[in-house]
Amino acid sequence: MKNIYSVAQVNSYIRNMFTQDFMLQSIHVRGEVSNCKYHSSGHIYFTLKDEKGTIACVMFAGSRGGLGFRLQEGQQIVVGGNIDVYERDGKYQMYAKTIALDGIGYLYEKFEQLKAELSELGMFAEEYKQPIPKYIHRLGVVTAPTGAAVRDIIQIASRRNPYVQIILYPAIVQGKQAAASIINGIHALTVQDVDVIIVGRGGGSIEDLWAFNEREVAQAIFDCPIPVISAVGHETDTTIADFAADMRAPTPSAAAELAVCEFSRLEETMEEYATALYRSMNGKCNRCRLQVQRLAALLRMNSPIGKLQQRQTYLLRLEENMQAAMERKLRGRRHRLELYTEKLRGLSPLDKLSQGFSCVTDETGRTVTDIDQVEPGQLLTIHMKNGIVRARAEEKERVVR
Amino acid sequence: MKKQTLEDAFLQLETVIERLEAEDISLEDSFKAYSEGMELLQFCNASIDRVEKKVLKMNEDGELDEF
Repeated sequence: MKNIYSVAQVNSYIRNMFTQDFMLQSIHVRGEVSNCKYHSSGHIYFTLKDEKGTIACVMFAGSRGGLGFRLQEGQQIVVGGNIDVYERDGKYQMYAKTIALDGIGYLYEKFEQLKAELSELGMFAEEYKQPIPKYIHRLGVVTAPTGAAVRDIIQIASRRNPYVQIILYPAIVQGKQAAASIINGIHALTVQDVDVIIVGRGGGSIEDLWAFNEREVAQAIFDCPIPVISAVGHETDTTIADFAADMRAPTPSAAAELAVCEFSRLEETMEEYATALYRSMNGKCNRCRLQVQRLAALLRMNSPIGKLQQRQTYLLRLEENMQAAMERKLRGRRHRLELYTEKLRGLSPLDKLSQGFSCVTDETGRTVTDIDQVEPGQLLTIHMKNGIVRARAEEKERVVR
Repeated sequence: MKKQTLEDAFLQLETVIERLEAEDISLEDSFKAYSEGMELLQFCNASIDRVEKKVLKMNEDGELDEF
């Protein structure tokens, strides 16, 4: 007779088999969510199913940290955890530690998580962004050597400035090796003394672009001492690399435009500077020249020669004035002299004599003007106009007038 | 030492021209500024390489080949 076991013994035995199985202790299972129940205790019960089967799952309240979104019917998820037997029911089920959305949903979630994490670390912070130099000599490009992206970058960069040296690192930009290849490219170009590095690829699905959402790629871009422009896919595609890069270009073409300045514009700029330099110098010289002229005129105006001439003129005028005054004075005197002469002439005794008057003097030459000076018999001298008469007084007679 | 870039030179040119256009600059200083500006322009010219470049591609050994 064979051994007979109790139910509990069997269940315990099977459970033991499960727990000893290495794979079942840490396993990831993909499937669709159904019969999802959020229990008031905080545990979540649901069934994972695919086309061929179902498996019961539970996520205990203590493991809820492993779930970053609201579990809903029909979601494609990947559950990580272990599979164990619930002895009471004789059923095995999955104990979920982590639940992630699968496929695109899974990638989006991973993207959001990494973005939040790196943002928290400060990797996207503005203060770490290096400025993109305006005028570059060497441009590094990390992208696939075939395809539109590399063609666009080379075409636009060469058109804008054919003198810029482009160094291409032919990278794998899709698939498992892509992240490592892109990182190698960034490192390889760093030692090539390029001024800017464009890291990118053409458009594609989120899976195609996935390498640019890898943490290691973002880190390599962030650590790169040379400014990095990211150019992944189309305008609407945003990757972690875009956030980590010093500048994000919407497309590879736009990246080339951002990295390479138009040479003709550069030449124009230089000509403008040359012109401005010349014009301002010329202006300064002209201003100085005008000032010199103005000062020279001022100096001439105030020169000692001018003063001297002024004084000379003044002196001449003084002399003339003096002469005029002198003449005036002389003329006056002469006139007065004439007047006096006339007057004198009127007063001259000789004149009087010529009019018939005579002057009588006594023996002593004294003019006789009074009858009392004369005695009869006295000798008198009578002065006339043209000679003298000696006469003797005969008699005198007083006349009362 | 950080090598001088065209951008730096242009910035310096801006200040040189500003100085030149100031009313109170002496003639001597303006000559100085002018020659400084000319030197900057010369530097700019010299730092512009006018040789067309072929695109280079890095091979596995880290060497550069024509693309």
